[in-house]
Amino acid sequence: MNKFWTRVLLIAAAALFLLFFSNDFGLINIQQTTIVTAIGIDRSQEEGKIDVSAQIAVPNESKASSVLVQGAETVGEAIAEFNGKTGWYPTLVHCRLVLLGAEAVSENVFASLDYFLRSEFVEDSCLVAVCETTAAETLQANSPVGDLPSSAITKVLSSQAQKTGQVSVCNLRDFAKGYFSDSASGYLPVISVKKEASKEGGNQSSGNSQGADSASGGSQSADGSGASAQSSNDSDVFDASKTALFFQGKRVAELTAEETLAFNLADTKTDFAYGDIEVFENGSKVTYNLKMKIGKKSMKLKFEDGVPVFTFRIRAKAQISDADKASGIVEVAKTALVPAHVLRAAEEMFRAQLQSAFEKTRESGCDLFRLRQKLYRFCYPQYASHRETLLQDARIFYDIRFDTLR
Amino acid sequence: MDKIKLRQICFLFAGMMPLTKMIVYPAMLAYQAKNDLLLAAFGNFLLEGAVIALVMFLASRTDCTFFDLLQNTFGKIGAKIIYGLFAAFFLFSAILPVLEQKAFVLQVFYENVPSFLSFAPFFAVSFFASVKGFKSIGRAADLALPVTAISLAVILLLSLPQAEFSALLPVGGAGAKGIFSGSLYGLNWYTDCLYPLFFLGHFKYEKHGAAKVMLAYAAGTAVVLLFLTVFYGIFSDIALRQINTIAQISKYTTAYTTLGRIDLFFIFAAALPLVFYLCVPIQMCVHCIRKIAPACNPVFPAAAVNGAMLLAAIFLNYSFFEVQTLFTQKLWWVFALFCYAVPILSLLLKRGKGERHE
Repeated sequence: MNKFWTRVLLIAAAALFLLFFSNDFGLINIQQTTIVTAIGIDRSQEEGKIDVSAQIAVPNESKASSVLVQGAETVGEAIAEFNGKTGWYPTLVHCRLVLLGAEAVSENVFASLDYFLRSEFVEDSCLVAVCETTAAETLQANSPVGDLPSSAITKVLSSQAQKTGQVSVCNLRDFAKGYFSDSASGYLPVISVKKEASKEGGNQSSGNSQGADSASGGSQSADGSGASAQSSNDSDVFDASKTALFFQGKRVAELTAEETLAFNLADTKTDFAYGDIEVFENGSKVTYNLKMKIGKKSMKLKFEDGVPVFTFRIRAKAQISDADKASGIVEVAKTALVPAHVLRAAEEMFRAQLQSAFEKTRESGCDLFRLRQKLYRFCYPQYASHRETLLQDARIFYDIRFDTLR
Repeated sequence: MDKIKLRQICFLFAGMMPLTKMIVYPAMLAYQAKNDLLLAAFGNFLLEGAVIALVMFLASRTDCTFFDLLQNTFGKIGAKIIYGLFAAFFLFSAILPVLEQKAFVLQVFYENVPSFLSFAPFFAVSFFASVKGFKSIGRAADLALPVTAISLAVILLLSLPQAEFSALLPVGGAGAKGIFSGSLYGLNWYTDCLYPLFFLGHFKYEKHGAAKVMLAYAAGTAVVLLFLTVFYGIFSDIALRQINTIAQISKYTTAYTTLGRIDLFFIFAAALPLVFYLCVPIQMCVHCIRKIAPACNPVFPAAAVNGAMLLAAIFLNYSFFEVQTLFTQKLWWVFALFCYAVPILSLLLKRGKGERHE
């Protein structure tokens, strides 16, 4: 091959190679594509069916929209309906949130959630949460800072929120790992919408109206209720301090905000938390708000005389963030020095909350602390004989110690 | 044009070989061997490493090409028949990796549904590389090493915080059957040991040449084992559904940052050396045909082989899992025969005088 043909081939290969990294021949026109930022799944009024709502951001529109498909057999069918009824092709690559309605979690949620695991075009890094009401209503909420509701919820469920222990954040991958593991257990944060803040203007209301229009004209109706809800100046804030526990895909229990914090201190990626501790000083109740830095945390399973022993070990440093009493200037200056009785009260409170959380897992069967997984990984010889009864048989020790920061 | 340097062979193993084992292979391994996937993979690497060591030993003893060795033992016709069989094998062994790469590119690099045309330019690149012979393999290896090193380093660093390494416990939990089937069904991804055999006589054996190649192979092995460790640490019980693995493991760190999925830049970068490595079996196939018919202009066998691959990719467009099942679970013995038995038996070939092929 002479030099001329070598050069021609090189240029041709380079030009063709551009196709390799572009999508000029893609089948879907970008102008007809909607970016779905969140999906909500609710149980339909029709038996055995689901309602699927999608929060969408249309590329050539400045506002967000929500569309709802009612009475679908599967999530996949509902997604196809979005396209069929609105003309928009929904892309789920940017879907960052999947919300499950309160009634949807009374049945195995993986009947619906497995759609997101099957599809190559949906990221399993998306966050999953349970709504206190319906997912459709939650996605219609009015964020006080002008965000899309889905965006505001993702901020509430951010990794920063997880680090402070207020929320037990879970993405689809982790939830699926728990479900498909031997424990068949998992947890999800519970999102409740609270009308607290007041918002200037009502920019997003028109966005929802637009969404309602875009989905109209078919048997799958658009939900207009959210539009009216947003026409007022009331804004909504989201709370995710409670945690729903799941066993075999069904919701079986719920942790309170305090239990959620204790769970986060013991297990998740929380390393810097705030908590209120009540003590009695001179016969009156005083509440201290402690800032806690978690030094070490571990959960170990071992066998002592044939009995499974599960030990929570938490080491934390605390300092006083605030107190509901008028303190002297010396006490204010010494916020890093926490009185010993406050530290002991903090230890006792977290021990009690953790114990309460563990009792809920025992009663519900949800292996929240992954005892079976630890049994398999670290005590494999005892796995066969103890896997069924481990949650009930395990003796639990709470080794929690708080120290002052200095 | 069929000259390659020892350094480039080293780079081939250290910089390109690991990438082929980072798309579908980890998921297959997780399905078969579960948390013992490292043991299954290590078994394959050990076997392949032993074959490479034997071939390098052979290289230290002779200047002959593999064709010369066959000719010395079986005569010219016999050598051509064996090369014909190897040409067929190389074509056969290229099918699954090409389909794997096609699915990877079309699923990971595009948000919408792309057409097959998006992947078709691969065959133009492959045609060009096939015409250029071993020289282009060496040059691609030179370029690939830094690209692979940087891409994989970033991808692994982004993935490490998500990994829970206790997922690999207990060692042996999957049982001997799981580990063995993981190794056996993974043979399709371990055809690299065949390349040094065909490079015989085309590179100048240097002092400590075998040690250098083995060191490079060990480096490539270490990268793959680290990758598998992180992969299983991240996904554990749902690892078997994570095809396109290299594009999956780093996304959990980047998805929620303000920068977004910056890891995709490095996944794109890693895909480039992979493209050139996928050309290697096709180049080998063309090389074998040219040995059988030396008078033939290389453009014709290159066009024929790449045309056949293009047709295979079109006809098998929707049959990836069927092809994977066939190649890994039914035809594993073909890979065992050509990639392990033949290179080992080549030690018995007569090492008469051969021509040095430049």
